[in-house]
Amino acid sequence: MSAVFKTDETFRGDFKYSNSPAAIRRFPLPFVEDKYMYSVNIEPHEAGPKGSIMEFQFDVDEHYIGECRDREIVLKEDPLRYQALPHMMSAQWDVLELLMDSMSRDYPGQFSLSKHGNRWTWHNKLLGIKDEFTFGDPSTLPREPLDYITRQAQGDFVVMDQRDGDLYLEAGMVTTPADWSMDFDLGMTFKEWHGPVPLAHELNVFDRALKFLLNLRLNEPVRRLNWTMTVNPRLDTSPEFYPRWGSDRATVTPDNVADKAHVRVELQGLWRLPRSNAVLFGVRCYLISIRELATIPKWARRTHRALRDLHPALVDYKGLTRYRDHVVNWLAPLDDGSPTTPGNSPE
Amino acid sequence: MLIRGIKSKPVYTPLAPDLGGRTHLMVGFGVGAEPLARLIADCALAGVKKSSRQLLYVTDKSASPEMREAMQNADVEQVRLFSDSASLLTQFEAILQAATMGTRLYVSGPEAFMGLVMRIADRFNLNRDEIRAEECGSPARRVHCIHCRAATEDVTTNIVQCVGCQRWLVVRDHYSRRLAAYMGVMIDAEVPGELPPIEEVFV
Amino acid sequence: MSRSHSHTFAVTVTAITQVTPLIKHFVLKASDGSQLPAFSGGSHVIVVMKGASRVHRNPYSLLSSPSDLSSYEIAVRRADPTRGGSVFMHDHVTVGMQLEIAHPVNLFQLDKLARKHVLFAGGVGITAIAAQLEDLKMGSVHYELHYSVRGPEHAAFADRLVKRHGDRVRIYHDSADQRIDIEGLVAAQPLGTHVYVCGPTPMIDRVIASARAAGWANSHIHWEQFSAPPVGEPFDVFLQRSNITLSVPPDQSLLEAIEDAGIDAPYLCRGGVCGECKCRVLEVDGVLVHNDNYLSSEEKASGALIMPCVSRAQGKKLVIDL
Repeated sequence: MSAVFKTDETFRGDFKYSNSPAAIRRFPLPFVEDKYMYSVNIEPHEAGPKGSIMEFQFDVDEHYIGECRDREIVLKEDPLRYQALPHMMSAQWDVLELLMDSMSRDYPGQFSLSKHGNRWTWHNKLLGIKDEFTFGDPSTLPREPLDYITRQAQGDFVVMDQRDGDLYLEAGMVTTPADWSMDFDLGMTFKEWHGPVPLAHELNVFDRALKFLLNLRLNEPVRRLNWTMTVNPRLDTSPEFYPRWGSDRATVTPDNVADKAHVRVELQGLWRLPRSNAVLFGVRCYLISIRELATIPKWARRTHRALRDLHPALVDYKGLTRYRDHVVNWLAPLDDGSPTTPGNSPE
Repeated sequence: MLIRGIKSKPVYTPLAPDLGGRTHLMVGFGVGAEPLARLIADCALAGVKKSSRQLLYVTDKSASPEMREAMQNADVEQVRLFSDSASLLTQFEAILQAATMGTRLYVSGPEAFMGLVMRIADRFNLNRDEIRAEECGSPARRVHCIHCRAATEDVTTNIVQCVGCQRWLVVRDHYSRRLAAYMGVMIDAEVPGELPPIEEVFV
Repeated sequence: MSRSHSHTFAVTVTAITQVTPLIKHFVLKASDGSQLPAFSGGSHVIVVMKGASRVHRNPYSLLSSPSDLSSYEIAVRRADPTRGGSVFMHDHVTVGMQLEIAHPVNLFQLDKLARKHVLFAGGVGITAIAAQLEDLKMGSVHYELHYSVRGPEHAAFADRLVKRHGDRVRIYHDSADQRIDIEGLVAAQPLGTHVYVCGPTPMIDRVIASARAAGWANSHIHWEQFSAPPVGEPFDVFLQRSNITLSVPPDQSLLEAIEDAGIDAPYLCRGGVCGECKCRVLEVDGVLVHNDNYLSSEEKASGALIMPCVSRAQGKKLVIDL
């Protein structure tokens, strides 16, 4: 897809955000059937159909500029949203290389990278950034490598070190979290980090996921979709700033629900990193209002059923308690009870 | 939001000698004396040499006079007594600086104390298979405010006012070893002033 | 999700050196001229060798520097008695020949939180350690290598290592009766030290035993041990889901026989350590010969699981869930 990059979007304040018709059609609806429950829904992160959000390793879309700008705002106020423990430096370079290689290869009109041995030149035309640096020498970049490159990418990034048969969260850039704090979770094992997720531990989801990830191979990344809902197209729903956005939830009414309530989908990708043997966890976030989503008739029916029948523990965990009913009621008239075709494509 | 039953909450087990170790470093606070006294007796029974046993202990009024005396006269190579945890932690760090592989750490006392001990142990790459911990004494929690990052000590209630930003925080079971604290999150962010009853729960 | 054959890529052999009477050293470059994939010290690659009668897939450690990706270096010890892979590398691989390799995998990683690294290598085991030393040289944490070889003519890599790492490397010649004082070396290391060993099984066992005797906890002890699939008796296996019976000859592993029959089976290390190929045993009339280091002794005793990359069966019948 040759996106037209919007230049004036905001994810706070006046919330100037919308999806173009093309962006709506490529939205990754998280409900692949009419009922939703956890599963270890991991698949190879291979190139998807042309124009889809999975066409490339790292999707760059029409919201790129606004999302990068929002990240800068968060970091200015709360610098600890980026952190890396000292032993993670080789992993930082791994991530920088992976992102620069992928973005310049997949979006040559927007990003370019030239390498002369260890002398690299990176040009980001969308943000007007051009830097020459020595790969492997942090002093030649304006910021730490992970900090530098993830300010120029959409989505959150977490890096896990592998040791003692576990994965430890020890670096990351997290400014668009679905209510989890990297600062608090830094240093945790895989299962400690996922401690607050209900139900999944009892289903052994994390035992299986951990075992799988410990054997994740180079050049064979995997992905899964996860979802929640957000009031307003707000990217930074962090616990740190919960006092600011928590009250949003009580502002949803039957009249404004279609524009205020957003489905928030995370395309989560996992890559083995070569020099550090660490694992990169990328969380790319997509937001769509209920009104936009309902322009696709199948999605209106599907979403109505999935939300209506959602397990109570998940309603609580995803923070939907106060407004789930409004969403379900708004979607109900659009659900005539006719069956939905398998999968999540628009039809 | 899950408040209780979060899997990051540490699980503690009764102290027992780890016979794989060659140096046995025991660290306790107040009522932590009881498990330590039991451990020292078990060590002797298991044939762990007295010369390999060391004890650091904060004498606190939560321990009975008998227990305090037992610690003073503990059957170990060297007993070091402290009047507060800060001075114990300084000495503890100096000991780790000179310690060698083969050391096992045993910690006993309130969780908040143990968290601070283990945070120092982490810096010396003492791993989970080299540390044993038994919780006893006050279950009061050290609470890290997720909004202003201040630590509120000795929290016994489900909801507490943050010493840093004055917000009312709900105390979750989510625990960080790095911060040695539980997570506190503003309770009335959705509807200001809407507070559930405050109850003594960590007593 | 099915985890079948790793994607492989073509490399060309650009140099071969006989470095000791038993070890040959190979330099590999990407056949398409590009830079090779980056890797971390301690990694290995699976080399796919297409012989006349069968395909060998052997793991070899990358011993070249992780910071030079213009070529990979591996060293192959001629195994005797052998089941083929190393003999193929020694007798049939020539300069200019193309081989297929899979992306590097690291099952022998340095611990990044270590406060000191003590490494032990014996013979060709140095190949797993050499690249780790390169990673350590870039860092600021103290490290030392104790490297034991049969005699000067076997010390192929010794000069190179001493040149690179100076007095951090100590060489011991068996022929001159120089022995590594393993017990002494693990006795008084500072807290947070990690020990690594790669070499003959007795050496690995001795390092592990000495460290444990000195009170080291398991999280500080690391070893690399590719148990080459041992030569065994021939046996038949029935693959339940594929509905096919195969004969496994003495010089082939169960995994290789499965692959030769065109059936995709999961694998990663091919050395009985990673657990990836673990398979359920549905029926066995006879005994399982467990050669892996992955299953617990209880799991081995249960007879319900087998690691096809190194383990075999003796007896009349074996049925597995594949």
